[in-house]
Amino acid sequence: MFLRSRYFAAAACALLACASPAALAQGAKAGDASIRGQLSLCAGCHGIPGYKTAYPVVYHVPKIGGQSPTYIANALKAYRSGDRQHPSMRGIAASLSDAQIEQIAAYYGGGK
Amino acid sequence: MKRLVLAAAALALCGAAQAAGNAQAGKQKAAQVCAACHGPAGDKPTAPENPILAGQHADYLARALQDYKSGKRANPVMKGFAATLSRQDIDDLAAWFASQPSGLHAQR
Repeated sequence: MFLRSRYFAAAACALLACASPAALAQGAKAGDASIRGQLSLCAGCHGIPGYKTAYPVVYHVPKIGGQSPTYIANALKAYRSGDRQHPSMRGIAASLSDAQIEQIAAYYGGGK
Repeated sequence: MKRLVLAAAALALCGAAQAAGNAQAGKQKAAQVCAACHGPAGDKPTAPENPILAGQHADYLARALQDYKSGKRANPVMKGFAATLSRQDIDDLAAWFASQPSGLHAQR
């Protein structure tokens, strides 16, 4: 049951990620330094061990905990600009400011 | 009967296409192609721009290499290296790096 509710939460986060990039961008513009809301967008896929993408191609989402922060930041910026293509990541990264990207990169890159 | 044979052949082909890579072959290939920037086991990148590969999911690594090779994922450096790799090389490298220990993990 606990497991099921976690998956439900993940699905809800994924839906949120698709639905509200514009709302998130407004939050960033308003100078909200907290990235708690942004991290919940990441955790819906990257926080679940063994989670797989369903679209456009099925494979395991990469592990980002412990990854190089510079690499994570560059990846998010490339998704944001469209240089790196993935529909979900594009939608999420489009809502992020440079400062939020650096915070997210530090959070996952520094994590153990 | 003919249909049955065809179905069996198709299944066998699918199996071959999804065969797991050979980590030991991947280790040798990695030493030639990947090690200079990612480390021989993929756990010690030589620059912060380069990702840790050790312990990453094999199917993600293989997807990344295929996308670099096709140009779907644009990176001048990785495109050059990936262009030299066969499909088998890619599966072997993915198996090698995925099997190596690192601090990579799913994190909430």
